[in-house]
Amino acid sequence: MVRVCLALAALLMISAFFLVTARFQSRLLYTQLDRLEDQSRQLDTDWRRLQLERAELARQARIDNIARNELNMLSGSPERTIYIRVPGLALDEGVPPGGQP
Amino acid sequence: MNVRFHDNPVLSPQMPMWRSRLVLILLMLAFVALAAKALHVQGLSTEFLQRQGERRYERTLVLPATRGKIFDRTGNVVLASSVPARAIWAIPEDARNATPEQLEALATALGMSVKDVERRLVDLDKSFVYIKRQVDLDTADTIRSLRIPGIHQQPEMRRFYPEAEMTAHILGFTNIEDEGLEGVELAFDAALSGTPGSRRVIRDRLGRVVEDVQAVIPPTHGQDLHLSIDAGIQFELYTALEQAMAEHNATAAAGVVLDVQTGEILALANTPSYDPNNRDARRGPALRNRAVTDTFEPGSIMKPFTVGLGLDMGRIGITTTFDTGNGTYRYQGATISDVSRNGVIAVSDVLRRSSNIAMAQISERLTSEEMWNHFNELGFGRPPQANYPGVASGRLRPWERWRPIERATMAYGYGLSASLLQIAHAYTAFARDGDMVSLTLLKREGHPTSVQAYSPAVAREVRNMLEAAAGPDGAKLASVQGYRVAGKSGTARKIVDGKYSKSLYRSSFVGFAPVSDPRIVVAIMIDEPKGGAYYGGRVAAPVFSEVVGKSLRRLGVQPDAPFESLVAIGTGGEDAQ
Repeated sequence: MVRVCLALAALLMISAFFLVTARFQSRLLYTQLDRLEDQSRQLDTDWRRLQLERAELARQARIDNIARNELNMLSGSPERTIYIRVPGLALDEGVPPGGQP
Repeated sequence: MNVRFHDNPVLSPQMPMWRSRLVLILLMLAFVALAAKALHVQGLSTEFLQRQGERRYERTLVLPATRGKIFDRTGNVVLASSVPARAIWAIPEDARNATPEQLEALATALGMSVKDVERRLVDLDKSFVYIKRQVDLDTADTIRSLRIPGIHQQPEMRRFYPEAEMTAHILGFTNIEDEGLEGVELAFDAALSGTPGSRRVIRDRLGRVVEDVQAVIPPTHGQDLHLSIDAGIQFELYTALEQAMAEHNATAAAGVVLDVQTGEILALANTPSYDPNNRDARRGPALRNRAVTDTFEPGSIMKPFTVGLGLDMGRIGITTTFDTGNGTYRYQGATISDVSRNGVIAVSDVLRRSSNIAMAQISERLTSEEMWNHFNELGFGRPPQANYPGVASGRLRPWERWRPIERATMAYGYGLSASLLQIAHAYTAFARDGDMVSLTLLKREGHPTSVQAYSPAVAREVRNMLEAAAGPDGAKLASVQGYRVAGKSGTARKIVDGKYSKSLYRSSFVGFAPVSDPRIVVAIMIDEPKGGAYYGGRVAAPVFSEVVGKSLRRLGVQPDAPFESLVAIGTGGEDAQ
C-alpha cells in the first residue's frame, strides 16, 4: 500500500513538473508568435512603404521627363514603327496600307 | 541540589482562569473576523475585485485595419496607399519641464518654429494637445530619442498619392482619420476601409503579451481597388490638358477617355489640379472635378445626336438637302446664324459645316417630345448610374415647357446642359453599333450592359459624317497620323449674368478612333480660352489629336490609315544624339 502511494506521489510530482514546463514553454512560444506577428506587420508596412517609393520613382511624369530630357528619347510615331503581323495570331482584319515594310 | 527549571516555584504562579479564557476568546474573534473578511472578499465583492485585478494585467488591444490600396488597371501602379505615421501630442503641464533646447530640437525635427510649438503648450489646463499630426516614422523616432518630458506619440495612418496632381480628381482624398472625403476615396469608402479587430490579452511586468484571454477578433483589412484608369493614358491626357491650358491661357480644362468596348473610364483629368498629399492645397476651384460635376451648354457637339435621331426616325435621309441661305435665318422671331455661308447642303455636310440653320430645319421635322425622349435616353438630364460623389445630371427641361425656338436651339446644343462625362458617354453610341455602353470606374470583369439608342445602320452613317467632320475639310487639327478619327468640335458661348457672352467661350471636341473599329472615345473641354483662338476645332481638336494618338499607341492599336513613309527606327533625321 505504502509503495503504491509513493509511486502515485512520484507520478503526481512528475506530472506537476511537466505541467510547469509545458506552461512555461507555451508562454515562450506565445511571445515568439506575438513577436513574429509583429514582424509580419512590420514587413507589411515596409512593403507598403517600398511600394510607394517605387511608385514615386516610377511616376509617369518623372519617367517622361527623364526619357525626354536626360536620355534624349522621342515618342514613337507610326512612320517610325514596324508593325509585324504574325501569321496565325488573330489580329484585326486588314493590313494597314502603309504599315508593311 | 538539582532543581529543574520549570519546577521553579517562581515560574509557576497561579494565574486566574479568566485570563486564558480572554486570550482564547480574542483569538477566536480574530479568526471570525478573518473568516468574515474572507467571505466578504471571496463571496460578496469577487466581481469587483476580479475586474480590478484584470484591469491591472489585462489589456484590450485594438488591431487597426489598414485602408485598402488603389491600383490602376494594370495592377502595377499604386495610385493610393496608406502607411503608418505618428501623431506627436503633449501634456502641457508636464511639458513645462522641457528645456528650451529640447523644445528647439523638437521644433526643428518637426519643421515648425519654436514659437509655434510653444503656442500649443500655453494652455496648462488642457491634458491633451496635438503638436503635429501625420509625422513620418523616422522623424517620430528622432523625437522619441530626444526624451522630452510631456511629449508623447500615437500611431496613425497616412495616405499617399504617388501620382499627385495627375490623379487628384479621380481619387479624391481622405481626412486625417483616414476616412474618404472625395472622389473614389468617398465613393468606395465602405470597401476601402476595413473594420478594426481587437484582442484581450494578459501582459507581464515587462509589457509583453503573455496570452490571449478571449478569442482574437481579427481586423478586416480594407479591400484593394483596381480602377479602370490606365496610368499611362491618364498621364498623356493630363499633360495634354495642362499644355493646352497654358497655351490658350484658359481658365480650366477637362478631358475623358473611355474604352468603347468595355465602357471603362481609361482616363479622366482636370486642370487646374492640386496635390492631394498636401493638405493645405486642398481648397479653391482646383478641387473641382469639372469633367464630372460641372455642367455646361454643349453647343455643336450635340448636333450628331439630333441628326442621328432624324435619320433613325426616317424624317431625313442621307440625301436630304437643306437651304441655309446666306448664313442667317429668321425662325420663330429669332435669328439663327451660321459661321459661314453654306448655301444648299446635304445632311452629310451638316456636321462638317456645323450649320445651326440646317439643324433648326431638321428639328422642324421632329417633335419636342421625340427629342426629349431621345436626349433622355442618351442620359441627358438624368443622374448617371454611378455612385460617384458629385456626379451632375445636367438640365433638360420637360418637353411640355419647350418654346418652339427652344426645340431648334436644343437641336444644336443650347438650352440644355450636361457634363463632359455624359457627352462622352452618349458618344459611345456612335462609336459602337448604336448602343450606349454602361460606364465604370472599376476594372470590368464581365461583359458590360448597353442600351440601344440608334440602329447600327444609322450609327454607321453618323460615324461617317463625324469622320468627315474631323477630316481635311472639317476640324483637320483633330487628325492623327496613322489613325482614322471621327469627332465633332463645339464652341459654346458662356452665359454671363444671364446673357450669352461675346468674349467667353467653351471650346470642346468629342470623338473616337480608330474609325474602322473604334477603341476609345475622347472628350476634351477647354474653358474660357483667352489666347485669341476660341473655336473648338482650333483649341480643343489638337488636344484630342494628341491624346488619341498617344493613347492608341499605348494600347497597341494597329494603324488603320495610310501614313507616308516607313522609316526604320534609328535612321530618321530627328534621331537624337
